[in-house]
Amino acid sequence: MELLDHYLESVKKHLPWQRQDDIIAELRANLESQLEEKEEALGRPLTQAEAEEWLKQLGAPIQVAAGYQPQQYLIGPAFYPTYRYVLKLACSWATIIYAIVTVVQVFATQNPSNTALLDAVLHLPWVLMMAAAWVTLIFAAIEFTVARGYVVLPAFCSPSPNWTPGSLPPLTHDAAAGKKPRSFAQAVAEVVFGILFLGWLLLIPQHPWLLMGPGAYWLKTSPFELAPVWVPFFWCLVAMNILQNGWNIEALISGRWQRPQPLKQAVFKVLGLLPAAIILTAPHQVVVLLRHPETAQMRDRLQLDAINHYFHWSTEVICAIIVLQLVWSAVQLTLNHYRKRAAAMQ
Amino acid sequence: MTLAENVFENLRLELRRGCLTLAVLAQLREERYGYTLRKALADDGLVIDESTLYPLLRRLEAQGLLASQWREEEKRNKRFYRLTPDGEKIFAQLFEEWQAINAAINASITASMKTTTSNL
Repeated sequence: MELLDHYLESVKKHLPWQRQDDIIAELRANLESQLEEKEEALGRPLTQAEAEEWLKQLGAPIQVAAGYQPQQYLIGPAFYPTYRYVLKLACSWATIIYAIVTVVQVFATQNPSNTALLDAVLHLPWVLMMAAAWVTLIFAAIEFTVARGYVVLPAFCSPSPNWTPGSLPPLTHDAAAGKKPRSFAQAVAEVVFGILFLGWLLLIPQHPWLLMGPGAYWLKTSPFELAPVWVPFFWCLVAMNILQNGWNIEALISGRWQRPQPLKQAVFKVLGLLPAAIILTAPHQVVVLLRHPETAQMRDRLQLDAINHYFHWSTEVICAIIVLQLVWSAVQLTLNHYRKRAAAMQ
Repeated sequence: MTLAENVFENLRLELRRGCLTLAVLAQLREERYGYTLRKALADDGLVIDESTLYPLLRRLEAQGLLASQWREEEKRNKRFYRLTPDGEKIFAQLFEEWQAINAAINASITASMKTTTSNL
């Protein structure tokens, strides 16, 4: 039957190539038996319309072939929760970094305009799409390699089957208040994303476009250059990041990721003051210099003063915010300690 | 299709999925090829689409529950399937599980019907 041949040929196109002939031979045998029985019951061959109706009932060739495909995921259920978390994290960081770079770019230009700001805002979806695309690509690669057994994840990357209810973490304040507790996926994502962030940070001196995008070209050709104070600032950030990654990895391996880590949070809040302090103590509050001071125009000198002034002022604001956060944390810790003592005495 | 119909259809398909595997394993204690298996299931009241049944046979074979061989019958080459020893063992376990689930559901429904009747 010619129509059946056409149908099977179309199914074949969508089948896995290694098993195409075998599957089609089996399908043909089954369908021909079915056809034969139909024709026997009718006492005549099927008409064109009847044959078309029968094949239509079997389903579209692509659907029939899909049943024979192995179940495949771009990102499977095992990695999906981590993927979602990292995606959120990546999009948030991309937005923050892009916002900082945009503000610096807009205010550093000789004639800041609303159009430049609008352009930057309209460009944001593209930045987010790029961040999402990279995260998706990385997770798809992990799924591909792990699902095919090319890579075996270390034991600490999969939830241990040897857990006991006693090893569960104590209820945190957030969990007791009905908020979501920190998940294993979040802990793994923090480590993975932390290492990726460190790699990205270390590449910035050689490839400033990673931080500033097209602004790196502007910096290269502008009459300004960064002051030497940025070198200790940069290495301070790197050291803090290494410390944080080490802390996260240690917590993950030892299983302490489940417990709240108030000490870690406090240490990093205090350490957060260090880079800001480096900038604040820059000689003569200079963070940007003229590339060629001897030939610089008056307009550039005035702009340089403004940049240094606003930078110093914003760093002071950031420092004040961090100090306020520290004070608030200290007050909360003291109050909690006082409440626990009072409860223990009752 | 309304939302309720859609929900019902999804739940029905979910419910059928596991049952179909059990029904296929039950039928293949005796050797059959795809079309006769489909007919046997339909005669017992379980109609399965070709596009569901034939790939299912392949998957069960890949899992080692079925063995197949090509053989000529009525001047046509056909692929015949039957349970492997592992398949027989797993079928027996699944059947036991099925009976336990069935009994539990029946018991729950009977109990709830008694409560409803006594309240009336």
